[in-house]
Amino acid sequence: MDKVLEVKNLCKTYVVNKRQNNVLRNVNFEINSGEMVAVMGASGSGKSTLLYSVSGMDNITAGEVRVCGEDISGLSENGLAKLRLDKMGFIFQQMYMLKNLSILDNIILPACQSGKIKEKHSQTAERGRALMHKLGISDIADNDINEVSGGQLQRACICRGMINQPDIIFADEPTGALNRAASGEVMEELAGINNEGTTIMLVTHDVKVAARCSRLLYIADGNIEGEYALGKYTGSNKLRERERQVSNWLMEMGW
Amino acid sequence: MYWHILKRDLKRKKTMNVILLIFIMLAAMFIASGTSNMVKIVTALDNYFEKAGVPGYWIVFDDMAERDKYKEFARENNYLCKFNETITVSADNIQAGGKKLDYSNIICIETLKSPLKVFDSQDNEITNVHDGEIYITTSLFNSGKNNFKTGDKIQITVNGRTRDFILKDCMKHAICSSSVMGMSKLLISESDYQFFKEGKPGLLWDCSVYTDDKEYAAKLSKADFSSMTRSDYNSIKLMYIIDMVAAAAILLLSICIILISMVMLRFTINFTMGEEYCEIGVMKAIGIKNSSIRILYIIKYLAVAITGALAGFIFSIPFGNLLLKNISQNIIVSGKGSYIINFLLAMATIFITVLFSYLCTRNINKISPVSAIRNGETGERYSKKGFIHLSKSRIAPVLFMAVNDILSRPARYMSMIVVFTLGILLIIIPVNTINTLNSDNIVELFGMAKCDHVISQEILLSGSGTGVENVKENIDKVKEELKKNNINAIVFQEMVFKSDISFNNNRMEVMAGQGAGDIDDGMYPYIEGTPPANCGEIAVSNVVADYIGANIGDMAEVQLDGKAKKYIITAVFQSMQNMGTVIRLFHNEDTSSKNLTGVMGIQVRYKDNPGSDVLSGRKKLLKKICPDEKVYSAGGYVSSMMGDITKQLGGVKNIIFGVVLCINVLVTVLMVKSFIIKEKSGIAILKAIGFKSLNLAVWQTLRIVIILVIAVVLGILLSGPLSSLIIAPVFCMMGAYNIEFDVNAVEVYLIYPFAVLATTSAAAFLVSKGLRKVQVSQASNAE
Repeated sequence: MDKVLEVKNLCKTYVVNKRQNNVLRNVNFEINSGEMVAVMGASGSGKSTLLYSVSGMDNITAGEVRVCGEDISGLSENGLAKLRLDKMGFIFQQMYMLKNLSILDNIILPACQSGKIKEKHSQTAERGRALMHKLGISDIADNDINEVSGGQLQRACICRGMINQPDIIFADEPTGALNRAASGEVMEELAGINNEGTTIMLVTHDVKVAARCSRLLYIADGNIEGEYALGKYTGSNKLRERERQVSNWLMEMGW
Repeated sequence: MYWHILKRDLKRKKTMNVILLIFIMLAAMFIASGTSNMVKIVTALDNYFEKAGVPGYWIVFDDMAERDKYKEFARENNYLCKFNETITVSADNIQAGGKKLDYSNIICIETLKSPLKVFDSQDNEITNVHDGEIYITTSLFNSGKNNFKTGDKIQITVNGRTRDFILKDCMKHAICSSSVMGMSKLLISESDYQFFKEGKPGLLWDCSVYTDDKEYAAKLSKADFSSMTRSDYNSIKLMYIIDMVAAAAILLLSICIILISMVMLRFTINFTMGEEYCEIGVMKAIGIKNSSIRILYIIKYLAVAITGALAGFIFSIPFGNLLLKNISQNIIVSGKGSYIINFLLAMATIFITVLFSYLCTRNINKISPVSAIRNGETGERYSKKGFIHLSKSRIAPVLFMAVNDILSRPARYMSMIVVFTLGILLIIIPVNTINTLNSDNIVELFGMAKCDHVISQEILLSGSGTGVENVKENIDKVKEELKKNNINAIVFQEMVFKSDISFNNNRMEVMAGQGAGDIDDGMYPYIEGTPPANCGEIAVSNVVADYIGANIGDMAEVQLDGKAKKYIITAVFQSMQNMGTVIRLFHNEDTSSKNLTGVMGIQVRYKDNPGSDVLSGRKKLLKKICPDEKVYSAGGYVSSMMGDITKQLGGVKNIIFGVVLCINVLVTVLMVKSFIIKEKSGIAILKAIGFKSLNLAVWQTLRIVIILVIAVVLGILLSGPLSSLIIAPVFCMMGAYNIEFDVNAVEVYLIYPFAVLATTSAAAFLVSKGLRKVQVSQASNAE
């Protein structure tokens, strides 16, 4: 199985008022192609820092991070931008989109900029509409971002993350700003995408979100303290059982 | 508590507050210096004339008998007159730096006995001239190719008596410093003057008449004196019209920068208030009263405004003086003295800033806490923002985003469009004016027909002895030489006679022009009527027609050499020659017995419409034919007559161009910096999805470029009507009622817009590169 993400001895230190704060300490883990991995942990444990560090959104202090075999610590700012554009998708907790663009334009913007897939803007738009249709939001394509609900907007963000057919999608609390129903819908979509082969790494507090992942990592004080393999999520009929397993494991980890 | 919040706010939002401070400082500087200059310029000539002691009337006599007749007339009527004797000298008899003086107007030597006070280049009154020192009027100092510098050696020969002088400085002479006057003065010591006088040179007498008698002009007119030139206070003022064009350009610049300041101030306050809305929402949510919140922000703006305005007041003094310095070297526009206006205007800037902040904080009362927290937006907006879609376009995403941003929020960019458009107008209008004054077509406004080349001759030199027959001989000589060189051309020359015209008891001293050589009256342009076609027919300028109240078809009486004759007016034309006080005689009217006052240059018009290369070769040939004369293009000849006018206007144009570029760069730098701060989260999102910093800098720059292109187009479209509105009245005062501006398309549509575009875009790009500092992780700070 191909390794999409390899992290070795990753350290991240912030210096605030001349005081060192070691947020990540020698973190090691791997993510294989087709996996859906959730990183869990208490607030301030370093989950989001880990996600930003391995996705090249933030500089690392030490260690090695390989995305699709490429060491991102050696990449220039432009190299990192190209990697994010062509090989990664990113979903934020808040549904960040550009205010001056319609939903569809926001979705297709990375593809139009990338040129990874040689096509006209109209063809990109067709792919964008197809993705929106798949996620059940095709009717909001021409809307402004403040004319749609949070759930719709987050699904639009997933479409944007998917448009360049990335090797891996990073998601930072993708359902953190959504209500329970919307959260469930968005996670079903992400699980569906994963089942089609897209690798996903996400950060969450939510047991229901984690229950849809194939593997869980528990982070505490900047270290991976534990790992739990849940197996592929195949449908909502076994969700309750998976949630129970996750809860039990978290209790073992001291959650 | 307020002080504590204010202190924290000033520290935390340092960049935005610094931008606000800079804008207020610039606004205070521009408003203070602009308004102060406006006051100084508007009153400049009156103040200067009062300082110099310019009389109500100024008459120059070249005949002692006529002078004595006038003395008697003044004594009988109890008019206070002061006479000043001067020595005339030909430019040929003056050597400057070993070269013959390049100047074609009248030159007189005088001493400090003149009733008029004169001033040096630093605007100090000249009260003492040592032996061997010389001052020369600014119009001569700056004319032609003499390149005078203080300390130059000048040798003057009058009637065989030669003396060397050291050029001490230029001299501001309230009457003779005007380029339009056609007379320059040299100021020397009394003993040097007596040295030349002993050689019995030609003399002129200036008479300064100080009277309040409203009937003076009428009495003088009836008294029938022969004088070389006579001017009243208002016509002397009018001679400085070109200097006032330069002043008007600075005035226009001042008004524009005041407008720019207002626009920028309003934008900055609105923009920074937008930044505050989230905090306003929180304060409202925890129960702080609206009035208390408003006072908090008004105090903040007051504190920034006081600091900015004081700095602006200090900078306004050198900035204002820099602009004034470039208005004119011929007049005194006092930049010294009281700075009360600057101070008051700087204080007014504080008031305007607080007023704008008061108006901008009015929204605090209207919006709910939640709306404020959402950055002033209610979240319930149903109107579409963009009119274009990336999915339907073929352009690159960064260009699309730039266009879409402007279309989505036009109000945000409107202030920049206004500022840039004003800048473009400020450049184009003076350029059009200078090109019009330099164009070959301008000769038609100086009583001459269109031509390709002009061979320079003495202009309006009284008593030159040149007769009408000499004029014809000279024309024939040039014609013959051209024929020998197989050049098919017509050669003609404009003769000028001193004259006066009367109609229905309205009398006016005028210059009568008449073409000699291969010319007919149809070659001159007319506003209305038909050209004089027979003896006994004349055309009059619109200034003359208005003054004497005559129309086409009326019979007017014209006096030439004291002999009156009735003429029928057949046409009206416009002219800036002699401030429009001119008439035109039929070209075959017999004037052979009349005393010629002067001649313009010999004009050559080629029949084969030669290109510029051929023209340049023929210019050399003409120079060979007439080695002692200068050969000009038509426009160049008028420029040489007008002295340093175009040079002076060119200097003002360069200053305006520099100021406009600086304003554009400043506005661009500050606005792009503001945009980057405001759009930090959007920039971070774009970086997160894979946009390179360079792409984003191009996106920010493209917005400025698009705005500039819009401004350039608007500026070009508005420059025509605005040139007519602002500059045409100045030409109108000089006699040209209907001026067609000469638009140099390459200069106006390409060179200047491109220079502005390139400089401003470069500034925008360099500042945009600052967005490299925005980290991808800052996307999480997005609202």
